[in-house]
Amino acid sequence: MSALLALERIGKSFGGLTALSDISFSVNPGEIVGVIGPNGAGKTTLFNVITALFPPTEGSVVFDGEAIAGLPPHAVARRGIGRTFQNVRLFADMTVEENVMVGRHCRTRAGALRGVLRTRGEREEERGIRQRSRELLDLVGLPGACSGQAAGSLPYGHQRRLEIARALAADPRLLLLDEPAAGMNEAETKEVSGLIRKVRDLGMTILLIEHDMSLVMKACDRVVVFNFGRKIAEGPPSAIREDPGVIEAYLGSAEGAADA
Amino acid sequence: MEWINPYHLQVASFVLINVILGTSIYVTLSTGQLSLGNAGFMSIGAYAAALLATKYALPIPVGVAAGALLAGAAGALVGIPSLRLSGVYLAIATLGFGEVIRAVAINWESLTGGAVGIAAIPQMGRVVLAGARDLGFSPASLGLKPNQFISLTVFLILLVAAVLTVAFFLRLGRSRVGRAYAAIRLDERAAEASGIPVTYYKVLAFSQGAMVSGLAGALYAHATSFISPADFTYHRAVEILVFAVFGGSGHILGPAFGAAFLTVVPEALRAISHYRYILYGVLVVLVVIYRPQGVIDPPLLRRMRGDRAAEAA
Repeated sequence: MSALLALERIGKSFGGLTALSDISFSVNPGEIVGVIGPNGAGKTTLFNVITALFPPTEGSVVFDGEAIAGLPPHAVARRGIGRTFQNVRLFADMTVEENVMVGRHCRTRAGALRGVLRTRGEREEERGIRQRSRELLDLVGLPGACSGQAAGSLPYGHQRRLEIARALAADPRLLLLDEPAAGMNEAETKEVSGLIRKVRDLGMTILLIEHDMSLVMKACDRVVVFNFGRKIAEGPPSAIREDPGVIEAYLGSAEGAADA
Repeated sequence: MEWINPYHLQVASFVLINVILGTSIYVTLSTGQLSLGNAGFMSIGAYAAALLATKYALPIPVGVAAGALLAGAAGALVGIPSLRLSGVYLAIATLGFGEVIRAVAINWESLTGGAVGIAAIPQMGRVVLAGARDLGFSPASLGLKPNQFISLTVFLILLVAAVLTVAFFLRLGRSRVGRAYAAIRLDERAAEASGIPVTYYKVLAFSQGAMVSGLAGALYAHATSFISPADFTYHRAVEILVFAVFGGSGHILGPAFGAAFLTVVPEALRAISHYRYILYGVLVVLVVIYRPQGVIDPPLLRRMRGDRAAEAA
């Protein structure tokens, strides 16, 4: 099976500070891969490199057999990589539905003139966008009643779901989730975990950063562990849990593991 | 038909030109960019239309369209390099651009007439009247004096232009492109990660704003029949900005309201002569302090709509 995403010796430094060095791993189609590691280990930087918000200093990102380094972020999204952000970045003043509709942008075409003239094709396209947005809101479990509400006024857990719906609207093949369960209670975390698997079952591949170990252990097929910008381990969750290097570097002592 | 007062119509015509100018700054602001170059783009439209009419005797609609398109093209050319800048830096760069255009207008005397400007630009009301007379029509048949007919014609043409301009961007705002503009304004990084080509839309909005300014300039030239570089100084650029600050830039009706209100107030207060600009300043300062988002904002419009819906129910 050829990998959907292959990272080849990625390095990233900011001035003299090395955020990532020599990161290589791949993600196969249909997998859910977790990225874990202490704060500052470079996990979010890795997401920013994959989605081209920053170019890597070294190495290459290969998506579906093609190197995507050098493409602008919107082109990477168009190729099929969607993401959410660690500190939810919604369009707060837009409605819930409009946020998802924005996500559909790169799969639709109507330009300014057609939008103003409301040609038949444009109206049909808008109907399609709206319908798809409703389906996605439904999929992530946001009640239809809130679709006209300002996105910024949603409760936090709903904002995270909305961000996932917006990312899904672009029909990604690879979805990058940056701490999807951050700030959620146990019940909500369980729901998110269910949602992640549901999304995978729809045919998507998922790479996720998460601190909640129960979610990582339950949802992920494979886990990659980062520390100080380097990959220190990779394997199935059960093996990672037993890996002495990971326990030492990441979880600290055995008692510390219970706190984490 | 005594009530048709050419002076009132002239004020109303300036209101409409300023509404179009208010729209021009709104369009660029709707992607989060502040351009103070709109007076410069306005002068490009005005000079292009005036020269095409006076030197080449082209029909007014052709010159107006050419002026607007030329300003839009200049907007794209200026926009591409300046969009590396944002915030205050973009504002200063575009203000500088406006001054460069004015310097060119003053110094390229053979083309622009220098500081004296261009006079005897065909006035649209007079042109329509002459055409109507050729067809055997006399304004007296409507009970209008010729100067009433002229002012009324200018007002109506500008009304159509202003309504079409506002309607264009109102509709654009509710389309796919309008959502992209809003997304860029609200969170550029999230917009690009969602697949929106941010640079393309910023240049598009910048160019559209320039085109609308050029349209206003071209109409201005044919409404006043005289233009000079003094019409397009940085005072004009700041005046356009104040329309948006005072009226509000969260909805297209904000700058339109600001333009209308701030054009009418000084005229209405002619009786107190020079003091009126003190009042103008006080009004603007009060709005900035007590309503920093401007007089008109989306929640206000929703409330007004809600009230109407509640009354209807």
